[in-house]
Amino acid sequence: MKVTGADTVQPLAVEGLSVHYGGVCAVSSIGFTVEPGQSVGIIGANGAGKTSTLKALMGLVPRSGGRIRLGDHDLTRVKARDMVRHGIGYVPEGRHVFPGLSVEKNLLLGAYSRAWDKETHRQLDEVYALFPVLKEMRERLAGALSGGQQQMLAIGRALMTRPRLLVLDEPSMGLSPKLVGNILDVLLKLREEGLSLLLVEQNAKLTFGVTSHCIVMENGEVAMSGTSAALSHDPRVREVYLGL
Amino acid sequence: MQDTLQTLVGGLSLGAVYALVAMGFSLVYRTMGLVNFAHADIAMIGAYTASTFYLTSELPFAVAMVVAIVITGAIGLVIERVLRPLENKDFDLMLIGTIGFGIVLQALAVIIWGTTGRAVPSPLHSAPLDVLGIRVRTYDLLVMAVAALAVVGLAFFLSRTKRGAAMQAVAMDHEAATAVGIDVGRSNALAFAIGAGLAALAGGLVGPMLYVDASLGGALGIKGFAAAMLGGFGSIHGAVVGGIAIGVLDSYAAGHFQGYSVLVTFLVFTAAIMIRPTGIFGERTVSRA
Repeated sequence: MKVTGADTVQPLAVEGLSVHYGGVCAVSSIGFTVEPGQSVGIIGANGAGKTSTLKALMGLVPRSGGRIRLGDHDLTRVKARDMVRHGIGYVPEGRHVFPGLSVEKNLLLGAYSRAWDKETHRQLDEVYALFPVLKEMRERLAGALSGGQQQMLAIGRALMTRPRLLVLDEPSMGLSPKLVGNILDVLLKLREEGLSLLLVEQNAKLTFGVTSHCIVMENGEVAMSGTSAALSHDPRVREVYLGL
Repeated sequence: MQDTLQTLVGGLSLGAVYALVAMGFSLVYRTMGLVNFAHADIAMIGAYTASTFYLTSELPFAVAMVVAIVITGAIGLVIERVLRPLENKDFDLMLIGTIGFGIVLQALAVIIWGTTGRAVPSPLHSAPLDVLGIRVRTYDLLVMAVAALAVVGLAFFLSRTKRGAAMQAVAMDHEAATAVGIDVGRSNALAFAIGAGLAALAGGLVGPMLYVDASLGGALGIKGFAAAMLGGFGSIHGAVVGGIAIGVLDSYAAGHFQGYSVLVTFLVFTAAIMIRPTGIFGERTVSRA
C-alpha cells in the first residue's frame, strides 16, 4: 500500500534562493538539493529564515533571486498553486487546516487538482489507514480538532496531493512529546515508502531522527551543512540546538 | 391578529428580495473579506436590464431575468478583474474601488435609461389568493419561491460541489488553498460573478414591486446591507434570516408609523446590532494570510 506518488522521482535543486521583505534580507542565497527518496532537514532558531525559505520555494512569498529545478523542469517561474502539479506537497507552519470544513473535505481538497473519483477515494482510505483518528473524525469540522489531530490532517491533506516531495514546516510545533513521537513515526514510514522529505524544524532531535542530510540556518544563511549523523555529533550543534 | 398576519405576509416577499441582496454581500465578503459597495448598484442595473428585456424586447419575464443575470454576472467579473491587482497590495483601495464602480454604474444607468425611471407591471395577472382571510399576491409567492430556490441552489453549490468547497477553502485560508492548487483569483472572480447574479435576481424580482430608477440601488442596498449585518455578515443562512427580518420589520413599520417607517426600521436594527454586534449567525470566516 502506498500513499504517495513517489514512483517517478527527480531531484529538487535550489540555487541562490533569496528573500527580502521591504529592504530587509530574510534569506540570503540559500542552496540545497533533495535527491529522490532523500530526506533533508533545515534547522535553526526562530527568525533564522527557515519558513521564508520554504515559502519562497513554494512561491508563496516573492523571491528576490534564485533558481528552483525539479529534474529537467525549471520551476522558478511556476506559480504557487501549480507547484502541487509538479509533485510538491506542502504542510504549512501552524497547520492551516480549513477550520470550517469537515475533516474529509479538507482531505479531498488536497486532491483539488484531480477529479474526485474512485482513485481519489481509494487514496483517502489510505490516508485514513495512516491516521485512523482522522477516519473517526471525518465528519467533524477541522477547527474542532486538537492541535495534534490538525497536524495529522495537514499532513494527510498534503499527501492527498499525491506528492513526490513533501515539504513540512515545523510539524512538531506546539505538540506534546508523545505526539511529536507519532509525527516522527509517520515521517519515517513515508520515508520508507520512498517519498522525499524536506523538513524545517526547530526540534533538531526530531529532524536528525528523520533526515539523512541537514542544513543549519542562522540569520538567513547556511551556517553549517552535512549529514545528519555528523551534525548531531558536532559540539556546537549539540550545545545550541540539542541543548546537550 | 388578521392585520398582523397580513403585515407579516406583505413583508415576506420584500424580505426575500433583501435576503437575495444580503446573500450576495455575504458571499463576496466571506470569500474575499471584501464588502462590495457596488453590489446595490449592480442590483439596480439588474432591475433595469431585466425590465428592458421584459418590456422593450418583450421577452418572457423569466428569460429577461436570465439575460439580466448573465449581463450583471459579467459586470461582476469585470469589477473583480480590474480590482484584483489591489488585493494583496492595498485592500482599502480595493474597497474604495468598489464604491467607484458603484458610481460608474449609476452614471451609466442615467446615460442609458435616463433619469425618469419606470414602473414595471407584474408578469402574473391572476387575482390575489385568499388564504384564511389574508390576501396573498401571486407575484409575492413567485418572488419567495424564486428566492428560496436561489438559497437552496447556493447552499448546494457551497456544500456539495468541489468548486464550492474550494471557494470556502479560499475564504478560510488563502495560503493553504493555494498550496493544494486552488486558483484564488479565479475563485474570487466566481464569487463576484455569483454575487452579481444574485443582485440581478433581486433587482429583477423587485422591479414589479418598487419603482425602478437609478437610485433603486440605494434603497435596496441599505436594507440588504442591514439584512446581511443582522444575520451575521458572511453567513448565508444569516442573510436569509436577516433579509426576512428586515422585510417584515419594514412592512410592520410602514403600516404603523407611515412617514417614520424607515426611521423605526433602522432604530430597531441599530438596537439589535448593539445587543449582538456579530449578528444572529455571526462568525469570523475570513483569514487573510
